[in-house]
Amino acid sequence: MKKILTGLGLFSVILVSCKQEFENPNQPTQEQVFAVVRGITSAAISLQRTYTVGRAGVVYNSIIANGSLTNEFRLINAGNTDEAAMFAGGGAVDNLNGIVNNLWIQCNKVVWEADNVIASATKLGDKNYASGLIAYASIFKALSIGQMATFWEQIPQAPGTTTSPATFQARQAAYRRAVKVIDDALAAIAANSISSSFISNVPGGIDYVSTLNALKARYSLFAGDYAIALSASALVNLSIKNEFRYDGAVGVNNPIFETATATNNVVQPLDSTLGLPGTTGNLQPDLNDKRIPFYVSINTAASPRHRISGFFTGNAIAVPIYLPDEMRLIKAECLLRQASPDLINAKNEIDAVLTQLPSADPFGVGAQLPAYSGTVDAASLLTEVYRNRCIELYMSGLRLEDMRRFNRPASERKRTFFPYPFRERDNNPNTPADPAG
Amino acid sequence: MKKSVQKITGSWRLVSLLTMMVLLSSLVSAQVTISGKVTASGNAAVSNVSVVIRNTSYGTTTDLNGVYSISANLKPGKYVLEFSGVGLKSKTADVTVAGGTNSYIADVLLADDVLGLDEVVVTGNSQGTTKKQLGSYITTVKGDKIANASTPNAIAAMQGKVPGAQIIQNSGDPAGGMTVRLRGVSTIASSNEPLYIIDGVMINNSNARVTNTQADYDGYGSIGQNRMVDINPNDIERIEVLNGAAAAAIYGSRANAGVVQIFTKRGSSGAPQVTFSTRISSNSIRKKLVVNSAPTKFGGPTDGPTAFTQDIITLVGTPPALLTNTTAVTRYDYQDDIFHTGMGSDNNLSITGGKDKFKYYSSFNYNYNEGIIRETNNRRFGFRLNIDQTITKWLSLTAGLNYSYNNTKELPDGNQFFSPINSITIIGNFHDIKQRDPNGNLLAVGERGRINPLSVFENVDQRNKTGRVISNIGFKLTPIKGLTIDYNAGIDNINQNGTTFIKPFTYNVSTAFWGGGISLDATQNGYASAANFTSIFFNHDLNATYNARITDKLSSTTQLGYSEQYETSQYILAQSRGLGVGVSTVTGGATPLPTVDSRSQQSIRGYFLQQNFKFNNQLFLTVAGRIDGSSVFKKENRNQFYPKVSGSYIISESDYFRSFAEKAHIDLFKIRAAYGESGNLTGIGPYERFNTYSAGSYLGRTYLGSSSVRANDNISPERQKEFEIGTDIALLSNRVQFTFNWYNKEVVDLIVPNLTVAPSIGFTSERKNVGTLTNKGFEILLTGIPLQTKDFSWEITGLFNKNKNRIGNISSPLITFTSPTGAVFALIPGQDAPVFYATYFARDANGKQLLTPQGIPVIERGNAAGVPQRDPATGLPYTSGPNSNVLRKPLGSPNPDYTTTLVNTLNYKKLSLRIQIDRVAGAEVFNADYRTRQGVGNGSELAEKELKGLLPRGYIQQTYAIEEWRVDDGTFTKLREISIGYSFGKVKKFCNDLNVSISGRNLVSWDNYKGFDPETNSSGQSGLLRGIDFGNVPIPKTFQISVLVKF
Repeated sequence: MKKILTGLGLFSVILVSCKQEFENPNQPTQEQVFAVVRGITSAAISLQRTYTVGRAGVVYNSIIANGSLTNEFRLINAGNTDEAAMFAGGGAVDNLNGIVNNLWIQCNKVVWEADNVIASATKLGDKNYASGLIAYASIFKALSIGQMATFWEQIPQAPGTTTSPATFQARQAAYRRAVKVIDDALAAIAANSISSSFISNVPGGIDYVSTLNALKARYSLFAGDYAIALSASALVNLSIKNEFRYDGAVGVNNPIFETATATNNVVQPLDSTLGLPGTTGNLQPDLNDKRIPFYVSINTAASPRHRISGFFTGNAIAVPIYLPDEMRLIKAECLLRQASPDLINAKNEIDAVLTQLPSADPFGVGAQLPAYSGTVDAASLLTEVYRNRCIELYMSGLRLEDMRRFNRPASERKRTFFPYPFRERDNNPNTPADPAG
Repeated sequence: MKKSVQKITGSWRLVSLLTMMVLLSSLVSAQVTISGKVTASGNAAVSNVSVVIRNTSYGTTTDLNGVYSISANLKPGKYVLEFSGVGLKSKTADVTVAGGTNSYIADVLLADDVLGLDEVVVTGNSQGTTKKQLGSYITTVKGDKIANASTPNAIAAMQGKVPGAQIIQNSGDPAGGMTVRLRGVSTIASSNEPLYIIDGVMINNSNARVTNTQADYDGYGSIGQNRMVDINPNDIERIEVLNGAAAAAIYGSRANAGVVQIFTKRGSSGAPQVTFSTRISSNSIRKKLVVNSAPTKFGGPTDGPTAFTQDIITLVGTPPALLTNTTAVTRYDYQDDIFHTGMGSDNNLSITGGKDKFKYYSSFNYNYNEGIIRETNNRRFGFRLNIDQTITKWLSLTAGLNYSYNNTKELPDGNQFFSPINSITIIGNFHDIKQRDPNGNLLAVGERGRINPLSVFENVDQRNKTGRVISNIGFKLTPIKGLTIDYNAGIDNINQNGTTFIKPFTYNVSTAFWGGGISLDATQNGYASAANFTSIFFNHDLNATYNARITDKLSSTTQLGYSEQYETSQYILAQSRGLGVGVSTVTGGATPLPTVDSRSQQSIRGYFLQQNFKFNNQLFLTVAGRIDGSSVFKKENRNQFYPKVSGSYIISESDYFRSFAEKAHIDLFKIRAAYGESGNLTGIGPYERFNTYSAGSYLGRTYLGSSSVRANDNISPERQKEFEIGTDIALLSNRVQFTFNWYNKEVVDLIVPNLTVAPSIGFTSERKNVGTLTNKGFEILLTGIPLQTKDFSWEITGLFNKNKNRIGNISSPLITFTSPTGAVFALIPGQDAPVFYATYFARDANGKQLLTPQGIPVIERGNAAGVPQRDPATGLPYTSGPNSNVLRKPLGSPNPDYTTTLVNTLNYKKLSLRIQIDRVAGAEVFNADYRTRQGVGNGSELAEKELKGLLPRGYIQQTYAIEEWRVDDGTFTKLREISIGYSFGKVKKFCNDLNVSISGRNLVSWDNYKGFDPETNSSGQSGLLRGIDFGNVPIPKTFQISVLVKF
């Protein structure tokens, strides 16, 4: 009897209660991340990941949305509901569309997180490491602002909060804001050059100064600030590659290859016209244009005949951030659009693009055609710029903006601007009215 | 039956007379023995009937022969013996102890009790109480009803047997998951599954996904097995089900979705009894689909790796257009290539016995079950040992130990196009899939890189193995009269291991399906994964119960309890693709894929106090309160108080009613009411209240990514308030028994997930306690015995459950949830949780579809306010302009309007027949496969008609985006169970009892569903994403022969 009582008494020790506070070993909190340089760097790296990776990422959605709206593609499987809506265009692209939402959500996320990274970086003691963080984050912030300004008439002026929701700015102002972000980054680099320890801590493939200037040229052009675009494009080193890299591991795959090329189940190029209207040599590509076989491969065995090629032929294939010839075409366009057009230099830039051998281009994109032989006036040369942008920059997500800037008829595209996601409208009274189409 | 009751009453008079004669001989207490035999209808001996001497601590249970014997130290006087057993009406017998006589005999016959009001239930009260006393409704399902239901899954066996429960078999795989819904949807943010308890051990009904781990799988659902599959139905003595908060005060902390408490068999004293049962079953597909038999397809060539597939909807050329030229093709039915008849067997051996103070139950079970999909099966074996030891008069010990091993040979679930069913759904049926190249390799099916259905069997090897120990120990002390202290502790330890191997393909299989693409890219071709899930649930509780008699008529039970639960788990996944020759492990992959290592811990702690008053055995009142705290919530929100009150009044026991009752043949008339609150202390994940960053590897560096969900540190547990009233009535000598429950469950502080925020704040959604949710409904259980003679009886039981589930408030007009199938679920105030929220056909005022001049339906469009608009030029919706917005609306819900069951049981002498029909009405299913079959051209419904010119060319392509045609009618009526049994009884020189039966399960379904079976969910046990049919294995029809022998 005594034994039992003793046993039970000992046993009751177990009743001492277990604890109620547990640390999360899997994921750090926001405070932990931004408390140390290593954490800020990892948060900055996630900006690139968010922007470039996966079917929800900005790279996939901007290329697919742009190409579907502007006739670059044909739809392979209407079961891809969100993509199918892009092809149907008009009212079919609605406020719940997955592509519309992904673009809006990811771009806003990048802008918000880039602000956190930049704000934390400016407080760091190591200014050379900080300038790297600022430059790196600013690239994705500028790109995200630019993407939003491409697809929407107005975009958030700055990240909002629940209590004070974001206010909106017109897209031209947004492009100028992207340029301001870039200017701030360039100023930080100018003050303190980027340290080598920063460079080794983030994924490679990006020359910061060239990339920042290239994006500055692109968005200044879109904003109509031709002089700034012209001067920025001159600062870009045209012989180097700046690109988003992938390594073929799941989660770090080339998103277009992963979802579209490899599966042949989403979109493929419309055909070798790249969706350009008119006749051969007018807007449609020249039959000998070497850029066509670069971007479109031919499958003679099975339908569809025209298949995605270019920068989307493997899971580990990198995607350019910009192409050197985009800079030449920006120069040409600025020279033509400035108050007194410079026809001669504009034609020179166009010819540089047209006559370039594929081997002469860092990315291998070359037309290998004769020089421009058409009428030399501003209007004709601008058309040639547009035609070459459409070909040279195929599947880069820029044609929608080009169509509007070059006043292409609305009938050539499925929609001009996106509606605003319900997520934004329902929670932000400042959300503008949806565009007509 | 009536006659035998009289006989017993007669013999009692004799006993009483005898005892009276010796009454005066002694007044000091003496050691006496009271013994007897308990029988039920048909003079069958009943074991495990509890026999206690009222107001003493003496008691026992009957042995296998129905015999009991109590030795007690009693003073002379009148005593009342109480007899109670599962499924039997309780009875009392009077014994008058007189000096000089040491032994007394009391035999009783107990009547069947369908309402089970006299059943002892321990749920909600650690010491047990009879249902009669309860103010809330508890269902008891007896073990034999579970073991004989022709399914190795104990949960599936409960289908149609529990009022207020919707029990859904989500998959027809041999270890397919089950979903149990008690009184509707009780939460939208977390699991809706009830709390499972086995012999006091809180069970982890985990959905851990150790197979189907590929990144592109359905990320929202809980597909695959859940771990109740480990439980051997043969061990179950009974299952008690509590539907809601009103009943659940003792489990207040996590009983929002109800409680299912399983009790395993226990030993009974007497000579060891050996019970052996064997069951042989066959599983086959109940309904095959009719496939496209059109002799042509659009475009060419006939077959081969370049054959133009998806010919129905693919646009070709410039401008893109549908092909109209046709090629002659042979049409195949691939269903014969993936389905077969699977065999199964279940062998169970139990030995039970005991002597005096020691009793044991031991069992061994081996179950093997083949799926209806070739190459799939499940093996389970397990042991159980339950012991009960009386140590001293005031101390007893109970312990149980169960080990089980479950080994499933699986193939990919739905949700992916390389699952068996999807592999035939996603291709046109004009490919000769059996063709091979000279090396014996299968060939590609068309140009899309889709998987040849036969490759699913030849290239995929997927195993899911679980070793599990469930163990409990308990002490019961009765230190002083009226006081009982009990302590119980339990451990549930799961060790689950899954492996997947997809052998590299020899032809073009899309990299999305883990092939190597057109180039057979060796870095991508093939996949291997190994995943391990370990979980430990530990729980223990200490309760003190004090019974006091205040007056002759008033007694009180006071209960004080403390309970604590601790859970810890770890999940590890290793995976790679691009496998080397002859390697099937992750190590052999050229391309490593992200590893997962995820760990969690949580604990819950609670106290309760419960006071019960019993007046004159007819009026019962219980008041209780408990405080619970869960580690997943922050300190300030952690401890919550949950009150409860319930009462019942047995009107038929009252003096004023009794005479009327006798005249009206009312045996029992009880009314009851209960109110209770409970919490959902596992409503969020262990660390979900923190704003965290997920880590991973990216281009050789670590990234830390902010979540899309903005965490909310202030989140608190959801609270459910339930009010329930009900009545139990028995008439005509219990030949008609009726139970009615009405309830109103309201969940307040509902955690609403996916609550949209403006993405411009940097997040996409958040989770907040802003919602309310209600479930109002009623349950009716009606049993009648229309016919009863000496040899023949006919019993009908009807069950009807109606539940109206409504979202009250979610602080948003609409919250949507997408799934990879394209099904859009939404939460909308005033609607079911959830509804299918989808685009729909434009219709005229009479509901007729509007058609284009070509005869093709069109999608509904309208203005920004969601009002359909018509273009006067065409009479159809606008196709451009401000009135051309594509509209969506709720198109039904996966939740049924009602479920009902009808059971007919006929007994003729030793022959019995039981037929159970279940009906689930008013539920919709998102039939993704139906649309896919039409789009790729194997569907007979539309694709065949378009090919034959019976529908205009373009009909399918132009309507493909209209989601309404995937919302299908999920109402069904099923012949759930049918069984014919013969009980030989004692067979001389061979055995004490022999039963043989033939049974069937899910043999017939009456429905209008355009797929295999509307009772399905490819998102598995997901709480919110219900009713999706996407490549899911249908529930088999099962035939079974079983033999049970007792030696």
